Amino acid sequence: MLGKCFSVFCLSSIAYALVFGDLRALCDSVLLGASKSVTVIISIIGFMTFWNGVMEVLKDSGIISFLSRLLTPLLKHIFPSSFKNKVARDEITACISAGVLGLSNATTPLAISAIEKMNEGRSSSYATKDMITLAIIGCACFNLIPTTIISMRVSQGASISYEIIVPVWICSFACMSLGIILSRVIGAFSADR
Amino acid sequence: MQIVEKSSFFVIPFILFVVGVIILFGRKKDYFDSFLTGAKNGATSAVSLLPTMCALIVGVSMFTGSGIGDFISEGLSPFFDRIGVPSEILPLILTRPISGSASLASLGEILSRYGADSYPALCASVIVASTDTVVYVISIYFAKSKLKKTRYALPIALFISVFSVFLSCILVRAFF
Repeated sequence: MLGKCFSVFCLSSIAYALVFGDLRALCDSVLLGASKSVTVIISIIGFMTFWNGVMEVLKDSGIISFLSRLLTPLLKHIFPSSFKNKVARDEITACISAGVLGLSNATTPLAISAIEKMNEGRSSSYATKDMITLAIIGCACFNLIPTTIISMRVSQGASISYEIIVPVWICSFACMSLGIILSRVIGAFSADR
Repeated sequence: MQIVEKSSFFVIPFILFVVGVIILFGRKKDYFDSFLTGAKNGATSAVSLLPTMCALIVGVSMFTGSGIGDFISEGLSPFFDRIGVPSEILPLILTRPISGSASLASLGEILSRYGADSYPALCASVIVASTDTVVYVISIYFAKSKLKKTRYALPIALFISVFSVFLSCILVRAFF
């Protein structure tokens, strides 16, 4: 998928530059782009290192499992069949709590194992409603602090940096709620196979 | 609105306060060791992004540098302007559902090209921060359990992705 993305950008740019004749700008952009990638990585490396350390402390001290307990009453309504049958309950709560704290490295493996648990003993190749809801929540990636974006903005000299947190919360929460509602409504009209 | 904006400055200090208390008073284990373990993983994963980022930033940079990006943006801008989305963020909208590093690459390009506090850059930042790479998430979540039929998951996810573009632009205009 990434390879395709790269080729589309490359080939369309080369074709356009050949037709309209600005090959110099094209060559410059290759060199500048390569050196810019280092600047972008450097701008996020420090804060990513620090923040991952902070999150590891929260994880080890049991704050995540505390958050999981707080979320359980809410999640009961979002994943009705998994919670009723006590399937993958812990995995789902752990995955969502990790997501809220912005542990994106931890969220994906937790979600994958939650779906594996929900899939145990099934032979169908169709996803269930609860699995789809979990995937949709993963897509909206609601998290408390968008650390990578803020550090990129700060390193580019932005005067509006932390202030983006609130619009991000609103947008992410709205997307997540809309996704959950849509997934439950559509789910109501189709049965799990 | 002002209280809401001020509150965004309290989140990081609050979390660090909790972490400081845990490291100072935690008895179960040495929590500074946990910090170092996590930090090491963070550093490794940031550095391991470089090869992908390098390829994709070159791609995005060629796309804008050759003029084709501007050409397409100009063509779409009457339409984009009408719906309130800046056409400068087109490469970002195209890459956001597919890849996290590609959309970070587009964001980096937009931040440095138009200035971090410009309208397109603010919209781009909110879009990248508030939704994940939906196509990637859906494919990787179900792949290990060999669930090929994801039913209505992808349509909803793509719909959310488009919705987040509109909502982000509206929120940026409302806040800044």
